[in-house]
Amino acid sequence: MEAKDLYIKPGNQERGWNDPPQFSYGLQTAAQGAPKRTPLNKRVPPPQLTGSPCPVPGDVPSLTAPMTPPTNPLAPPCSMNTPPRPCPVAAPPLGGVMMMATPPPPFPVVEHTDSASSQSENEPDVDDVVTLLNWALTACRHTVKKQVCNDVAKRLKLFEDMWKSGKLSLPVRRRMNGLVQELKSCNWDAADEIHRALIVDHVNEVGQWMVGVKRLIAETRNLNPDLLHTQEVDQSLDTSSTGNSD
Amino acid sequence: MREWRVAMATYQEFIQQNEDRDGVRFSWNLWPSSRLEATRLVVPVSCLFTPLKERPDLPPVQYEPVLCSRANCKAVLNPLCQVDYRAKIWACNFCFQRNPRGPPNPLIFLYVVDTCLEEEDLQALKESLQMSLSLLPPNALVGLITFGRMVQVHELSCEGIAKSYVFRGTKELSSKQIQEMLGLTNPSATGPQGRPAAPQDPAVTCRFLQPVHKVDMNLTDLLGELQRDPWPVPQGKRPLRSTGIALSIAVGLLEGTFPNTGARVMMFMGGPPTQGPGMVVGDELKTPIRSWHDITKDNARHLKKATKYYDALANRAASNGHSIDIYACALDQTGLLEMKCLSNLTGGHIAMGDSFNTSLFKQTFQRVFSKDHNGEFRMAFGGTLEVSTSRELKVSGAIGPCVSLNAKGPCISENEVGVGGTTQWKICSLSPSTTLALYFEVVNQHNAPIPQGGRGAVQFVTQYQHSNTQRRIRVTTVARNWADAQSQIQHIESSFDQEASAVIMARLGVFRAESEEGPDVLRWLDRQLIRLCQKFGQFNKDDPTSFKLSESLSLYPQFMFHLRRSPFLQVFNNSPDECSYYRHHFVCQNLTQSLIMIQPILYSYSFHGPPEPVLLDSGSILPDRILLMDTFFQLVIYHGETIAQWRKAGYQEQPEYENFKHLLVAPVDDAQEILQTRFPMPRYIDTEHGGSQARFLLSKVNPSQTHNNLYSWGQETGAPILTDDVSLQVFMDHLKKLAVSSAA
Repeated sequence: MEAKDLYIKPGNQERGWNDPPQFSYGLQTAAQGAPKRTPLNKRVPPPQLTGSPCPVPGDVPSLTAPMTPPTNPLAPPCSMNTPPRPCPVAAPPLGGVMMMATPPPPFPVVEHTDSASSQSENEPDVDDVVTLLNWALTACRHTVKKQVCNDVAKRLKLFEDMWKSGKLSLPVRRRMNGLVQELKSCNWDAADEIHRALIVDHVNEVGQWMVGVKRLIAETRNLNPDLLHTQEVDQSLDTSSTGNSD
Repeated sequence: MREWRVAMATYQEFIQQNEDRDGVRFSWNLWPSSRLEATRLVVPVSCLFTPLKERPDLPPVQYEPVLCSRANCKAVLNPLCQVDYRAKIWACNFCFQRNPRGPPNPLIFLYVVDTCLEEEDLQALKESLQMSLSLLPPNALVGLITFGRMVQVHELSCEGIAKSYVFRGTKELSSKQIQEMLGLTNPSATGPQGRPAAPQDPAVTCRFLQPVHKVDMNLTDLLGELQRDPWPVPQGKRPLRSTGIALSIAVGLLEGTFPNTGARVMMFMGGPPTQGPGMVVGDELKTPIRSWHDITKDNARHLKKATKYYDALANRAASNGHSIDIYACALDQTGLLEMKCLSNLTGGHIAMGDSFNTSLFKQTFQRVFSKDHNGEFRMAFGGTLEVSTSRELKVSGAIGPCVSLNAKGPCISENEVGVGGTTQWKICSLSPSTTLALYFEVVNQHNAPIPQGGRGAVQFVTQYQHSNTQRRIRVTTVARNWADAQSQIQHIESSFDQEASAVIMARLGVFRAESEEGPDVLRWLDRQLIRLCQKFGQFNKDDPTSFKLSESLSLYPQFMFHLRRSPFLQVFNNSPDECSYYRHHFVCQNLTQSLIMIQPILYSYSFHGPPEPVLLDSGSILPDRILLMDTFFQLVIYHGETIAQWRKAGYQEQPEYENFKHLLVAPVDDAQEILQTRFPMPRYIDTEHGGSQARFLLSKVNPSQTHNNLYSWGQETGAPILTDDVSLQVFMDHLKKLAVSSAA
């Protein structure tokens, strides 16, 4: 899973009030079973029962915070002009760098922008991807029911058409390329996981055809390995014969 | 004093170690040796038990040999037993108990989908369902029922034109009729003399529930082609939704084909049932769905009948071992009040959102299929829990997402608490956080000698179907020392687990609130709290200022204060559906999460040090602090006045103010860590001093300003009621006054 695939999008504030942010599949699976960095589970007993001094109530209007964070001696221009007074807190004030419980995680928290037209140096080639998919499908045709293969073929065609007409975003194109590479290397679980991540993260783009890829992976992994090796992947003359006939 | 501190530290470690190992938290970790003394302790000897607490180090125990599930039988499956292959049941020839059969069955997911949705919502829901086909366990069986005015059961064949069976949404049918109409009953299934016929594979014969790996492409297309319910909705009317019939068909379909197999009915609805049995409101928009006001005035026309209807369905599903999830997304109420038993009795989920096109629904739904660090699904099915106790203890009952298996035996107390009269319960669906509260009764007579070196013991035997279809057993056996309450009361006191006790008592309160009047429950809760303080407080008579509680009890009154103000008991601040939703999660979740629901966590972020927990009190709201509040259902980040001004001015963008940028990000990161895993997905509120959304924080910390800060006496019994709108300080003052009073 690439770092690009670990992201958070804002929720849908138009349809749901205070809709929480949406985590990508990669971020969610990374979090499974991982211990919490900073478990927020402590509570404070009320002073009336333990005999310690009461906390100062907060509605004292003249109480202000230091005008600046401790590292900066400059006072920022701010609407409050009263001289700064330290807040009464349990912990002693710290000069220098402010401490946090732990540093933030290294995930890039970015707006996920879908741009079918954005190009990067890693722009995958649609024909390479389609060729690999068809290679697997051809191998399946020996043993898998014709109807199933045709259904898969139909969806692969839809995928190809959507790509060629610019309807698929770069992350989808990039990750499909990754998926077929895993297929080629017979890393079935990895390919399957990419399909799952894609359908979770981009269901509106891939929903109609991804199930064909899912089935293709499932059928291909069950094939006799010899069947796969007899297929020549790189022969360009295969492209036409493995195209969508029937 | 130091001796008690050492004892306390030891008990905290002891409690934590036991929870980590056994998934059990007891209210008292040293047990009073007589019934009389136990009742004087106010909080009963009870525990929270998480049957499937994640234990990565625990090797699975295979379900071999196949044993009779009756507690006092345990005979092994043998050739003399009658076996029903179709229903996967065998009858013990020693005690005649009907038991589920050994060989693993595939898991079943039956989608029941409301088509009376707005176009955008329906599209989003369809996409989520299509996505879920990739998330299901690979060999699972899947089925689809759609409903609106009519109910359609879809045949999932691999080829040809998709067929469906249509039912009227108004006519109630018996389970047998449903099965007949769907062509599921085969008269030749029973052989001569009523002996069970040769085993058939139901997966082959049931056209409505097919393996997902076979039908995923067709089902994806079928889902993609689903249309909004075609029946036009006139102005001023609601769509006709036949939820009741749809559910009864779902339950009947599963009952007829796969009884006693792990199955989930997943129901998705975008509004209330408006026709047929189980209707919650009529189709006239001018008649609003019942509010609390309507209910207290006995003006909720459909409430009793609908609740009874769904209750019957829930019990049927539970007895078949099937669970029912409800995913309700609408801006108005949908009838969770009437339907909650469907999930509460079966261990199913309830998700409540505004629209299917929200992250809240999509992520919550995705997380149903979440996996643990071993890559295995967290959900488990067909659970049974059996509890045995040493003879000084009896079992009073359980409160949680379970039904009774009515297993009689010597450990059963006559004093029923929650689901009682049994030592075995069924939990049709469970996760690693599912937790039951179990209540015990000490039955030793007063002055009976404590068994020398004696310990009381409890054994929990959980049997369940893992998501890989394998059956498993988990056995947890725990013991605690007996203590003579006369001479060892301080030891017993330091063994008190105030967190567990708060949740245990809260579940009792919520259980009562379902059947009793609200004020009675509050009175009862107050009474227990005052008695506990009278028993364990250190004070001089009639001198409230002298009152102190030891560390092992110091958080307990605050838990009770917040419980009284919580949506579980203060129903009038929320709709009946919201209340049902909150209560549902409260009685399923583990201790840590339940405690958050009772008393939200509040952390303060500042320049002065690491984030620190602060009192859930208005005094914690300061201009130069950021507060993060977790209520379980909401995560609120509140920026104090100064912080908000700085943020607005954009100081976080300037390099020399990078530590301010870190300060702003810190609570967001901590919130995100919670958001990444919590089920269900909470709401996320980013607000500041003066912001309209700040009310989420303020309502938790501030009592009403307009209410007089007095307490009043109850009418009937003269017992004191502490009013709901006082501040913590005032509440504590009243509590201390009542606890020290020699008149009490």
